[in-house]
Amino acid sequence: MLTQRILFSHPPLKKTGDGFFTGQTPREKPMKREIYSSQVGTEGTSGMLRIIKEIAFSDDPRDFGYMADNVPCQHACPAATNIPGYIRCITENRYGRSYELNRSYNILPATLGRICSRPCEAACRHGEDDLGDPVNICQLKRAAADLKPAMHRIKEDLYAPSGKSVAVIGSGPAGIGAAHDLAVYGHNVTLFENMPEAGGMLRYGIPAFRLPRDILNLEIANVLRLGVTLQTRVLVGHDILLKDLLKKYDAVITTVGCMEPNRLGVEGGEMDGVVSGLDYMVRTNLGQEVETGRRVIVVGDGFTAMDCARTSLRKGAESVRINIRATEEYMPVDDHEIREVKVEGARIYSLVSTQRILGSHGKVEGIEFLRTRLEDSPDGIGRIAVPIDHSEFVMEADTIISAIGQHPKVEFGQPLEMHGQRIGVRPGCFLTSVDRLYAAGDCVTGASNVISALAAGRKAAHEVDERFAGRRRKALLVRFEPAEQTDRDREYDFIKPVVMPTLPVKDRLEEPDNEVELGYSEGEAGKESLRCYLCSLKYEIDVSRCIYCSMCIDVAPRDCIKMISSVAQRPDGSYGEYGETGNWNDVVAIAIDNKRCIRCGKCYEVCPMNCITITKTELVEVDREE
Amino acid sequence: MPKDDHYVIIGNGPAGNSAADTLRKEDPEAKITLISDEKSLYYYKHRVPLYTVGGCEPEDLSIRPYRSYLENRIRLRLGQRVEKVVPAEKLLYLNHMEKVHYTKLILAVGASARRLPNHAGFADHLYCLAGLDDARRVRKAMMAASRLVVLGGDLISMGFAREARKAGKEVVFILYSSLFWPVSLKEEIQQSVTKRLNSLGVKVMSDAEPVTDVRPEGEGYTLTLPDGEEMSTDLVLSFFGSVPNIRFLVGSGINTEKGVLVDHLMRSNQEDVYACGDCAQIYNPELKDYWVSVGWGNAEAQGELTAMNLLGREKVIDYQPKEIFEMDGVTIRTSWWKTFA
Repeated sequence: MLTQRILFSHPPLKKTGDGFFTGQTPREKPMKREIYSSQVGTEGTSGMLRIIKEIAFSDDPRDFGYMADNVPCQHACPAATNIPGYIRCITENRYGRSYELNRSYNILPATLGRICSRPCEAACRHGEDDLGDPVNICQLKRAAADLKPAMHRIKEDLYAPSGKSVAVIGSGPAGIGAAHDLAVYGHNVTLFENMPEAGGMLRYGIPAFRLPRDILNLEIANVLRLGVTLQTRVLVGHDILLKDLLKKYDAVITTVGCMEPNRLGVEGGEMDGVVSGLDYMVRTNLGQEVETGRRVIVVGDGFTAMDCARTSLRKGAESVRINIRATEEYMPVDDHEIREVKVEGARIYSLVSTQRILGSHGKVEGIEFLRTRLEDSPDGIGRIAVPIDHSEFVMEADTIISAIGQHPKVEFGQPLEMHGQRIGVRPGCFLTSVDRLYAAGDCVTGASNVISALAAGRKAAHEVDERFAGRRRKALLVRFEPAEQTDRDREYDFIKPVVMPTLPVKDRLEEPDNEVELGYSEGEAGKESLRCYLCSLKYEIDVSRCIYCSMCIDVAPRDCIKMISSVAQRPDGSYGEYGETGNWNDVVAIAIDNKRCIRCGKCYEVCPMNCITITKTELVEVDREE
Repeated sequence: MPKDDHYVIIGNGPAGNSAADTLRKEDPEAKITLISDEKSLYYYKHRVPLYTVGGCEPEDLSIRPYRSYLENRIRLRLGQRVEKVVPAEKLLYLNHMEKVHYTKLILAVGASARRLPNHAGFADHLYCLAGLDDARRVRKAMMAASRLVVLGGDLISMGFAREARKAGKEVVFILYSSLFWPVSLKEEIQQSVTKRLNSLGVKVMSDAEPVTDVRPEGEGYTLTLPDGEEMSTDLVLSFFGSVPNIRFLVGSGINTEKGVLVDHLMRSNQEDVYACGDCAQIYNPELKDYWVSVGWGNAEAQGELTAMNLLGREKVIDYQPKEIFEMDGVTIRTSWWKTFA
């Protein structure tokens, strides 16, 4: 009987005493939130099919594996933001809820909604081949922040005061992330900042036309009001020594970021008119004068390079040329950023490498480049730009901005184990070579992006808290809830991406701080939100009731429903690829491949046996039981 | 096993056809397939402006009948767009999900109309003229139009202006001298371009770039000029040259910049993948820069050269093909272009 054969042959997963999962050893004690017992089938077997009849939680690796594969946006987000959840809230016009849902993962939704590097969008299933373009996830995050009701309720689940104190050095994204979570855990947090105001790269690296300062101030204030003390204009290692902080506080987290620009290191690099991209942005953001010539050349291909180019246009540069070693395809910024920089009038020159800077009387007059050609990097995925001999040519310039990366500046007056230029930490941890000193964010990883740094800061806070509390106080679980409907129409799949309105170029250049992106209206946000497939909905066929009529396969928009003979299992216990078969004798099930499924709901509608179920899945952070 | 060779050429223009013919001549046994996303047979590009004003019919455009491919055993697959190239598996994916295997691949995909980034806000209202599909749209729109505004221009814009005038249309040419394609206009050439256009009865505006807005109004369109003045017209056309059709290659591992980056033997960085014609970009040691060739003659020559190299008979690209472009009476000395905004 087919219903017997659906039960997959692999042994059930058990949790052993040491916390690892294995298929061999017998169960020692039942998992507290075990739900695999509700599976369909005979006693003692395990299947991937479970009919969820009530809200259930799981910490089974199969379920974490499922979430990683099937909700690609959330998996790609370093902070694991519940993206389908907050997008669904926007569809339902619950902007405040959407904002708070965001905040519980990434703390600064209005900020990130403007400047996030959007790893989620690159992973979005709607952007797969033949499925169109990814959902504008980031802009929806901003919409939640823009459209939430005034004076909406902020939600924080605070723990009782612990009496412990922690110093956080640096108030950039990692520092803010760490300070927030430590404060929630009930610890006394003091945030030390070298600059006049909190925010780090957010305030001093990113231009105001991309991130208005009132937005940033508000979101930082929401963290500070949890009881975080902010001390600005304090340089640790100069005004106060690290060893004194370690004496005074129970733990110290350093999140000093990468604030030291890499220099071009070529002849003429010290000339008047050559400035690093980071200095250019910091001085602009401090309101200081920074000389910008008529003809500006930017060297570099990252976000800082783009920001410098756009800032120099606002300072009156007539020609702005961005020079990159490889090609636009390999630029680490998104297409959107490339488009905006071009619309504003900058031009991008690919395949060039800086050779030397030319000038007279100590003043820049131009820059000599070599053309490059691309060669495969050892991994075969990236490219290395190799200068071509005798290909030198000169571009004239009055100002040269080199934005070719940053590295940490670590001068704490105390020996610290380093990993190259970065602070060394224990593998898989945030603890440095000095006891009670933790490090997180760009000073550990090298220059990355805001969301990664913020997520790292939060994780470091969890590690510090574990030290104080003697146990992890929060845990991630997968939550299941039966759903009665698809929440989608097939027509939604054909909605084109809603382009966020932007300020006309003329108005951008007139007032340099004018925000370029204008935000979605309610109508636009609602329309864009409908595009989300809601990948967190899990579709399953109850094979015990399936009559193998294959009507679902007939209406499937792509090869998402499969006749399968087996399912692979990965070493971590999660499920892998389906073994498909065209031979009815080998078919053990008709299964929905949720990695291919675009949640259109057509199968659910046509099934004559109502044997397709929908389950809402969600990664949730919960208090661990004591 | 030469008999099992399957040479696939993408692109049914001068480069693709010349490559296919050369391959057939040099390798009588091989299987040759020519794939194009256009539905029409190989056609004369310079007659396209005439076609848009109704001066000739579609059949007058075609160069080569279907029979000729049959006789040469070149499999012609028209109206089939290649979605993706996977060099590691030597596979092409067509837009109807069919997979095509190749042993050697020639990319001769040509170029399509270049659109200016600062026209992006109203790009939907601008007509372009790169392929025959564009031409059909323009021809249809031209029937009802009596007043045209041309923004640009490029090598074919002048031919178009001439044909439009002959057909009795009123033509205003807003000249973008710094963005002229393939070379920005120096004072001297600008004067001769203006003179030539004036002699055709075209009104030339050389200080009205860039147009800041185009919006539909009634049956026609209203343009906004940089000084805020408005102009109404029946049709707005955008002529800024072309950009190689390489979007479908992004992510394939084939190196591209403006075009497909190839070496002096027209080889891309991926084994057995070649490119030629308007889509190929080559480093030129004399110019000390990468360049993309323009024009029919260069495309045909490169197609032949690529076919020879593919067959292992090394022929190196001539870095200075001597070409002078006649742009409807105005001479431009260039056989290549390097940059675009």
